[in-house]
Amino acid sequence: MSTASAAAARPATAPSLTGVFVRLKLSLLRNGLRQSTGRTLAYVASIVVGLLFAGAVVLGLTALRGNAHAGALAVLLTGMLTVGWAVMPLFFPGSDETLDPTRLVMLPLRPRPLIVSLLMASLVGIGPVVTLMLVAGAVIAVADGALAAVVGVVAAVLVLLVCVALARAIATASVRLLTSRRGRDLAVLGGLFIALGGQGVNIAAQRLGRPDGLSVLEPLGEVLRWVPPASALGAVDDAGHGAYGRALAGLALTALALALLLWWWQRTLTALMTSPDSSTLQALEKDGARRSGTGERGLARLLPDGRTGTVMRRSLRYAWRDPKSKMAWATALGVGLLVPIATSAQGNGSMYTAFSASALLGAQMYNQFGQDTSAFWMVASTIATPRDAYQELRARALTLALVAVPYVTLVVVGAAALIGPWSDFVEVYGLSLAVLGALLATGAMSSALFPYSIPSEGNKNVAPGQGAIAWFSLFGGVLVAAVLCSPLVALTVWLHVAGLHQLLWLLLPAGAVYGVGLAEAGLRVAAPRVATRLPEILGAVSKG
Amino acid sequence: MANEPEHIEGRAETAPPQHSTVAPGGPATAPGDVMAGPPAVRIQGLWKKFGEQTAVHGIDLTLPAGRFIGLVGPNGAGKTTTLSMVTGLLRPDAGTVEIGGHDVWQDPVSVKSRIGVLPEGLRLFERLSGRELLSYIGRLRGLPGDEVDKRAGQLLDVLGLSGAQHKLVVDYSTGMRKKIGLAAALLHNPEILFLDEPFEGVDPVSAQTIRGVLERYTASGATVIFSSHVMELVESLCDWVAVLAAGRIRADGPLAEVRGAAPSLQDAFLELVGAQDRGAGADLDWLGGGRAR
Ligand SMILES: Nc1ncnc2c1ncn2[C@@H]1O[C@H](COP(=O)(O)OP(=O)(O)OP(=O)(O)O)[C@@H](O)[C@H]1O
Ligand SMILES: [Mg+2]
Repeated sequence: MSTASAAAARPATAPSLTGVFVRLKLSLLRNGLRQSTGRTLAYVASIVVGLLFAGAVVLGLTALRGNAHAGALAVLLTGMLTVGWAVMPLFFPGSDETLDPTRLVMLPLRPRPLIVSLLMASLVGIGPVVTLMLVAGAVIAVADGALAAVVGVVAAVLVLLVCVALARAIATASVRLLTSRRGRDLAVLGGLFIALGGQGVNIAAQRLGRPDGLSVLEPLGEVLRWVPPASALGAVDDAGHGAYGRALAGLALTALALALLLWWWQRTLTALMTSPDSSTLQALEKDGARRSGTGERGLARLLPDGRTGTVMRRSLRYAWRDPKSKMAWATALGVGLLVPIATSAQGNGSMYTAFSASALLGAQMYNQFGQDTSAFWMVASTIATPRDAYQELRARALTLALVAVPYVTLVVVGAAALIGPWSDFVEVYGLSLAVLGALLATGAMSSALFPYSIPSEGNKNVAPGQGAIAWFSLFGGVLVAAVLCSPLVALTVWLHVAGLHQLLWLLLPAGAVYGVGLAEAGLRVAAPRVATRLPEILGAVSKG
Repeated sequence: MANEPEHIEGRAETAPPQHSTVAPGGPATAPGDVMAGPPAVRIQGLWKKFGEQTAVHGIDLTLPAGRFIGLVGPNGAGKTTTLSMVTGLLRPDAGTVEIGGHDVWQDPVSVKSRIGVLPEGLRLFERLSGRELLSYIGRLRGLPGDEVDKRAGQLLDVLGLSGAQHKLVVDYSTGMRKKIGLAAALLHNPEILFLDEPFEGVDPVSAQTIRGVLERYTASGATVIFSSHVMELVESLCDWVAVLAAGRIRADGPLAEVRGAAPSLQDAFLELVGAQDRGAGADLDWLGGGRAR
């Protein structure tokens, strides 16, 4: 193994490199803590929470010893841990500055000992400790007999090394991307990843909580147990059942993966440390691609001329290119779909959960100008009349509708098909459209009256000091939107109560017309306010 | 302040030739009586307070049309604040601003189409490429699409941005941003151009290009009003200067008049803002000498 030979060679070539790195990492941790009490508290809290969480999981796994599905669970847990380690450096770059290879470029270090030392230094920290505990818990859950215990110790060490090496290798491979200006966009998307991942875990936990829920894992575990490093955990299970050949194969797979990872890491690290920064070249190549790409241009040509089409084109480009807009869109689309799916997965779904799609997409209309940041001056300097403002707002509402109407349709149809009953389809669809229209209307109003700025860096979506405005406008607006929709809700209830079920289909055209009417009225009321409040809006969205 | 002959000489040196047609009445002695039409900008009693601090302290100023006008002043003098209020991006606490005879706040329709703005400290739509940005702002201003594309191409060419036209503005350097901002301000061929520190961060070659563009633009009778800290630049470019310090106008008028008897605008400026003896003072006697610590 390359690791073994490297480790053997290390004392001769660079006697204390590992020690140096480990000490460097420890002192960085210590200095970080010394900076402020708040940070110390946060760090201590995260350690305590991490250890408590790991401890609880270990206890749970110990309790599962002997369960028929413990093997699948252990394998799955290892797989999830590995995925976590793999995406960590992408979403939270710079979380470990000792190991930022760009900082080592100036040092006369040979790659192989460097890799070993970096790997050892990576093992210092709360993350690896928690990981080791979790893996140990998984081993405890499946290890049956002395031989399995021995295999378990080897497996735990291997899994930990693979996880850490994977994280470092990915961080190194993507360092150019992550230190570039646009690469940090990924960090913004990290929050979304966590939100969706959390929801996924939530659903999974609910499923597993049912009697015999663990059996759901079997097919997944069957595949995963041959994927390293989870294969090491599979090996522990096999060793307990006397399947020594399978056990050996599982361990070997993980060891091979580790060797390959280290080799890849070393190669990218060497390339990184010896080649010039090529980010400019890459940027140029990408620009070439954008120029020749005609797809968007073809689609963009379908949009109307004048202010409407111009604003829509820009909004759509921003939805894709601006990390904050992209995240907002992805969240609205993702969560809007997730709510009906999650509730139906729990078995107590109602078709009315499909409202989440129109609610979340409609809420995108709020704080339209905050999304522009201080670049809003360009919009402001071209708005001279309420009519200009109306066209600007209408174009933004149309952009939203362009995505929201088909999407809401899709979600409502999906909800009718999966949750049912189809008899509710018409009223849910009609009400959804009305909700969308009401939110567009109140969103336009609150964009005019309660703008606030969205900092472009980091995960915050409200500038300090403007949180109250943001919450007030969103909740106030949603309340008003609910009130605006109440006539239609009343109509629905009345049709049901009066037993006029044959007239329920009326709710669809009524909802659509009512939604369009509300949106149009909202835009018309908001437009003159935008036109007279341009400097105030610009001031509000330029903060932070 | 200035004696007449020197004053005329000073203008003749720097003013483009066609200014004789703009100001046929001879030497400009007071703003306002020079031209037939309304002044480019007329500011009366302009105030702006940020909390306790008064950023602009009752400015009265009349700037003639068809000139290259420099607005100078130390950091924090209120140049950006004044330009923002004049261009309708910031609401004044008191006072009126007229551009080409139209009130900025009463008659935005007439004003907004007539002016071009390059603000300072505000962002652009940075996730658009340079060309997309120009095409966006041109169409927002209501120009026909093919005209926008034609003009954008020419501006990008002249400003040396053709090579980067498909790059996102977020990846532009400081100077490139200034240039694309200038192109965006020029696109609709405004009568009056307001530029806040247009030469900040721009390399000498590009600065020369921008000068050329702006000089040709004023030669056609348009007005440029720009703020700057670089006195040499203002002295060589402008034929009209306004000096702002602590939110008040200290001097304004033709360059030679403001310069007066001082050897250069720099000296006149230091004298006007009262900063001459606050030089490299004795307070910093520890600085230098090669003795570390
Ligand atoms: N949004 C604001 N909030 C609070 N104070 C402000 C704000 N904008 C400007 N100021 C203050 O107003 C004064 C004038 O600022 P301004 O930006 O107009 O100066 P300036 O002449 O443009 O300076 P510089 O040459 O550095 O650009 C400064 O003291 C500044 O601190
Ligand atoms: Mg300024």
